[in-house]
Amino acid sequence: MSASIEIAGVSKVYDGGVRAVDAVAMDIRQGEFFSLLGPSGCGKTTTLRMIAGFETPSAGAIRVDGADITHVPAHKRDMGMVFQNYALFPHRTVAENVAFGLRMRGLEKAIIAAKVKAALAMVELSGLEDRRPAQLSGGQQQRVALARAIVIAPRVLLCDEPLGALDKKLRQQMQFELKQLQKKLGLTLVFVTHDQEEALAMSDRIAVMNGGRVEQVGTPTEIYNQPTTRFVADFIGDTNIFRGERTATAAAGPALDVGKGLILMLPLGADTQGSGVLSVALRPEKILLSPRSEGADGTAGACAHGVIENTNFLGGAVLYRITLEGGHRVLVQQPNAGAGRLFVPGNGVTLDWTPADLVVLKD
Amino acid sequence: MGNSASHSPLLSSDRNAAPRQMVSASMRTASGPTHYGRALYLAINVAILIFLLAPIAIVVVFALNPTPFIQFPPVGVSLRWFEKFFASRDFMHALGFSLQIALLTTVSATVLGASAALALARGNLPGTRLIVATMLSPLMLPAILTGLALFQTYVLLDVGRPTWGLVAGHTLVTLPYVVRTTLAVLHNFDLRLEEAARNLGASPLRTFFEVTLPLIKPGVLAGAIFAFIVSFDQFPVSLFLVSPGNETLPVTLFNYLKFDLDGTIGAASVVSIVLAFVVVVGLDRTVGLRSYVKL
Amino acid sequence: MMKALGSSRLSRRRFLTASASLGISTIAAPHVARADDPTLRITGWGGKWGEVMKAEIGPAFESEFKCKLQTDSAFPYLPKLQASSRSAPIYDVLHTNSNEQWAAAEMGLVEPKIDAKLVPNLTDVYPYAISDKIVGVSIFTSAIGLGLRTDKGYGSVSSWKELWDPKYNGVRGGYVIPVNSLGQAFLMMCGTLFGKGQTDLDAAYAALEKLKPIKIVDFTGAMEKMLLSGEVGLCVIHDSGIYRYDGQNQPIDFVAPSEGVLSLEQVLTITPGSKMKELANAYVNYMLRPEIQKRLAETVWYSPANSKVKLDAKYDAKLLTTPEKVSKLIQVDWKWYNERKDEIDQRVNRIFRA
Repeated sequence: MSASIEIAGVSKVYDGGVRAVDAVAMDIRQGEFFSLLGPSGCGKTTTLRMIAGFETPSAGAIRVDGADITHVPAHKRDMGMVFQNYALFPHRTVAENVAFGLRMRGLEKAIIAAKVKAALAMVELSGLEDRRPAQLSGGQQQRVALARAIVIAPRVLLCDEPLGALDKKLRQQMQFELKQLQKKLGLTLVFVTHDQEEALAMSDRIAVMNGGRVEQVGTPTEIYNQPTTRFVADFIGDTNIFRGERTATAAAGPALDVGKGLILMLPLGADTQGSGVLSVALRPEKILLSPRSEGADGTAGACAHGVIENTNFLGGAVLYRITLEGGHRVLVQQPNAGAGRLFVPGNGVTLDWTPADLVVLKD
Repeated sequence: MGNSASHSPLLSSDRNAAPRQMVSASMRTASGPTHYGRALYLAINVAILIFLLAPIAIVVVFALNPTPFIQFPPVGVSLRWFEKFFASRDFMHALGFSLQIALLTTVSATVLGASAALALARGNLPGTRLIVATMLSPLMLPAILTGLALFQTYVLLDVGRPTWGLVAGHTLVTLPYVVRTTLAVLHNFDLRLEEAARNLGASPLRTFFEVTLPLIKPGVLAGAIFAFIVSFDQFPVSLFLVSPGNETLPVTLFNYLKFDLDGTIGAASVVSIVLAFVVVVGLDRTVGLRSYVKL
Repeated sequence: MMKALGSSRLSRRRFLTASASLGISTIAAPHVARADDPTLRITGWGGKWGEVMKAEIGPAFESEFKCKLQTDSAFPYLPKLQASSRSAPIYDVLHTNSNEQWAAAEMGLVEPKIDAKLVPNLTDVYPYAISDKIVGVSIFTSAIGLGLRTDKGYGSVSSWKELWDPKYNGVRGGYVIPVNSLGQAFLMMCGTLFGKGQTDLDAAYAALEKLKPIKIVDFTGAMEKMLLSGEVGLCVIHDSGIYRYDGQNQPIDFVAPSEGVLSLEQVLTITPGSKMKELANAYVNYMLRPEIQKRLAETVWYSPANSKVKLDAKYDAKLLTTPEKVSKLIQVDWKWYNERKDEIDQRVNRIFRA
């Protein structure tokens, strides 16, 4: 039932020359929870709207199960969509909202009634059939929107920031339920969000978009652990990014001179071709913090000294802002190991890391 | 539902006011201004109501008074002017003609006005502001000039003064109301509702009738009601455009007024008011005026 | 007269066929106007006049002349006529008061004179009806004088000047001069009464100033109602506005002041561009026929212009039906007035606004 989607070199240029989407290419697999993640204006919503058929690509093609649907009108695409703010028909009851797509498909009344009932049961809204949208809470409206979209058994379910209007607790619950429903129904789901945590938590794969282009497509762990571009590294979670000139150390192969006296050893298999200038990312939690030990100089290129600038208590962890001796500022996250072992501003510290945790970025 | 909610602030302020006055004499001065403020507020509202309703009351008194002139206090109650009005073939013909014109005008102004508003709100037309201003311009122009200009146009075109010409004139001056009220609802219209319908398999036409139209209906209907009333009461535009033997009620009343100023005028006015009211309520009941979207 | 008729053979043929058809129509079914009949477009009053025209006099004309009569009784006639083209005017015959006729004539919208050769009945009208103060022909006139409440003990009234008597303060009635012919005629009368004549505007303005306080209305119908309700005790009004309540036992009466009454003429003119000139002349002639004049005069209490008309005693006693009575009529020089209308309007507005 569910379909795969191929987006082949799709661009969208608006009047006045604004390139909202620029040569985007990605394959969304059947039954996959696929997120389009990026800041506002990155082109993720435009991409979704082109999949839905509300916008026509200026170039490129969109194929569903191999068939070109680039110019098929929206109402013939057989896709369900959950809108930001839900877009429930205010003049119709819950049941009528859910029945709408079925009615458009010309199904018999009895069948429609049965399907509506089942869909509402699935989203746990039985009994609210005759309410109007304005009489429902935000979470209930969200479920109605979901029921309305999935009751037509769409080939693809499109979601445009569907959880953005909910409070945090409800959002987490809905994330969980949506994910479960998607797996249960085997739906191909394209999910637009600007919330990286949400994307990481729910997706099978994520496409990170920026400025109308796709920066990286990958699983949540790939996106987090192996960001390929500076933008992805920066956008997903906290990170330390260093930029410098490639240099060679006699001892252990390639290294990066990031200035102010700091030289970082690069991971062994790193792609170091191209120009001499590189950026690398190092996640804060990949750095080990210990009280400053003057004697032990650690491994050259994987160790530094600094002073705690300030601390940010996160509960399960503590985030430290540290100024290195050369002047670089670094974020370090340590598990909360107990009251006695926390650093306070002014403490001298030693930072250690493994060169393999450095990720070389494309600019 | 809304009523009880809107009443509660008044009730609560009542409750607050009472104990405050009992606390002490010195507090009384503090509660004084609120008290006078409310009295003033009430007085102003009553004055506005009287101002709005007094003309109607005078017309009704005039219509029911048996003497052929306005007299205060009225000397009795009589239906003779109503009898005269309903017995007059001229008035009955004018009344029927006015209703016919008003209904035709309502239909044409509503269809044209709502379509125009849709095109203006959605069509991405160049010069939208200019078009809107042009469409609303009959409101700025003295209606008598509109009537005269149309009359002259018809004379130049040598089409005489046909009924459609009168409907066209009325449509011209009622169109702005429909355009305005429809644009107002379209302005607040969430386009995603239409996209949702399309996404669920509704063709553009089906989307219009299933989603767009029901949602802009309150605005369209408000415009239609304005159109009906403005056309039914229209005098300046009709003045030049009515043809002999086909005069609208306001024109007939005006001509009658020049020769006979008796209660028939009042009776005719009462009948017009009642008819307009019936049409408005009827439209409300049948098509539904209550809104899902705020105007 | 035979020769005069002969000079327009067409018109004589029309008359002949008309009388023939009249003979037939008395036997056969009454004539029903058909779409292809020629249409004569005229203007006409509403009220009682309109009723009688519509019910009797109009249909009789239609069947006699095998035509359709299309009467516009919706004001204002003059702007409509002005807006239509000179070569295809909206009316063939314009019926309105004398002052408007003068305005129309000045603009060339109507022919200044009616041709007596084409309208034989013109020979029978009183001189005032075709005087140099008249454009076209006056088919009727009313007399403008004073309307009096008879139950208030004001005593008898015989002069215009009694309107200035302080005892009428608060119950004096007049008109909005810029929009009412009676008011305009009265203003001219003021010049005659207190100055060197009709055109003595300064004397008239001074007299108007002294008339205050005065209740002013725009329509004569409104004045009638004020007199009936007793709101007004003495006012400027035309005789027909009082006599129309004859038989209703109203305590009101018309006074023809000794200085003379002003005439309020009902004037017919023909438009130069009319395509129905023949029929238009026939209509004017028809309206001057004694039997038509009698019927209308006794309906609306207008004094007929045709001197041959014999009214019933009741009407004959009150209306201007003899050369002596007609000689009391004072005609207003509307041409002179219209030329100064704007200036006069401004001035009187200032007088009555204060």
